[in-house]
Amino acid sequence: MLQIKDLHASVADREILKGINLSIGRGEVHAIMGPNGAGKSTLSGVLAGKSAYSVTSGSVTYNGKDLLEMSPEERSWAGVFLGFQYPTEIPGVTNAAFLKAAVAEHRKSKGLPDLSAAELMRLFREKMAVVEMDKSFLSRGVNVGFSGGEKKRNEIFQMAVLEPQLALLDETDSGLDVDALRIVGNGINSLRTADNSFVVITHYQRLLDYIVPDFIHVLYDGRIIKSAGKELALEIEEKGYDWIIKEAENK
Amino acid sequence: MAVCIKIAAGESLSRVFLQKGAAVERYDIVIEEGGKAEITFVTLPEGEICNDICVKFAGRNASCVLRGLYITRGSGRASYNITMNHDVPDCYSNQLFKGLLYDASRADFYGLVKVPAYCIGTEAYQANHNLLLSEDARVRTLPQLEIYADDVKCSHGATIGRLNEDELFYMQSRGISRETARRLQQMAFAAEILDTLPEDIQAQALEYIPN
Repeated sequence: MLQIKDLHASVADREILKGINLSIGRGEVHAIMGPNGAGKSTLSGVLAGKSAYSVTSGSVTYNGKDLLEMSPEERSWAGVFLGFQYPTEIPGVTNAAFLKAAVAEHRKSKGLPDLSAAELMRLFREKMAVVEMDKSFLSRGVNVGFSGGEKKRNEIFQMAVLEPQLALLDETDSGLDVDALRIVGNGINSLRTADNSFVVITHYQRLLDYIVPDFIHVLYDGRIIKSAGKELALEIEEKGYDWIIKEAENK
Repeated sequence: MAVCIKIAAGESLSRVFLQKGAAVERYDIVIEEGGKAEITFVTLPEGEICNDICVKFAGRNASCVLRGLYITRGSGRASYNITMNHDVPDCYSNQLFKGLLYDASRADFYGLVKVPAYCIGTEAYQANHNLLLSEDARVRTLPQLEIYADDVKCSHGATIGRLNEDELFYMQSRGISRETARRLQQMAFAAEILDTLPEDIQAQALEYIPN
């Protein structure tokens, strides 16, 4: 589904990604871990098309298409979803108006007619249940005055509505208490199918208890220095990253 | 044109002035004891529209809410020169002016709130917010408070900004095209005033926001 080849990217002339190679197949769950500043958020931002990052070399192919050529909205229509580490607040735009516009443009891109108000409301209700959100969320400004947990639940709600093929979740578990983590974890898990893939960026094993990864990659200094199965997360939780970094440096 | 509005003791008045084309306007507003005025200016200039607005309180516990929405395009120009005279204690005023500026248009906001020393119990608020939607649009804003009394609640503020890139990206990342995202942001900015307008004037103001 997604092939990243020798991807280099910089922010304000500072190289952050220094040659990422990663291949993600249909239905797979990949976790990306690594110390702060390794480039995890840059990677997800580049994949979603954030303009602050410039790709200096390498390629990203998504379902056979050049992902880097697509605008952020085209990537969304094609099924890419970024769950933000710090979801943006949009004062004055209600959650309902925001998602209505998003759903309308997704459907338009597929040549489908608009949903009626009743159909839209039914869709929202069904998807809000996934993250145990109540109806009042819809009439509030997008993320305005939301607690950290509410913002992350809102990300998963949006993901549930848009049903992406490839979800990039950037530290969706950070700042969550135990209950919010359970809601978000179960929400993500319930959206798993044989067809959609997840890239979960996290510091902790705890989210991976809910969404069990097929692969774990350790990102350090702009490169993936180790890839292994799910058991690696437990080892990292116990021993940290130092041994992996040393191992990579000795190679 | 000069408009004189007098609100008698205990009366309320709510008015919306829709301004189009080019004009020089003067508004003298006098509010007697316990009177309430709520006046909104919707300014959609083709040429230059100049407003001179003067409010006087003539009795205690009077209140005046002034709102303005200006949407300027082409070489259009909107200007407001507002004097809010709190010459009587215990009165309330609140001004909120918001502008969307396109092309090579321009706006000037000059607002003065005067509170003499004996006018305790005054509450006066003033805000002017501007959204610049082109490189060539210009705004000059000068909200001012002249306060000599101690026991008052007053605030003033002005902002001049552009569309927020983080918000645009967030919307785009959800599949909202950049054009729609820009329009949503402009509507969100104007909503605070748009939502208070009667439908027909709201529609005319919306027509002025380009697609």
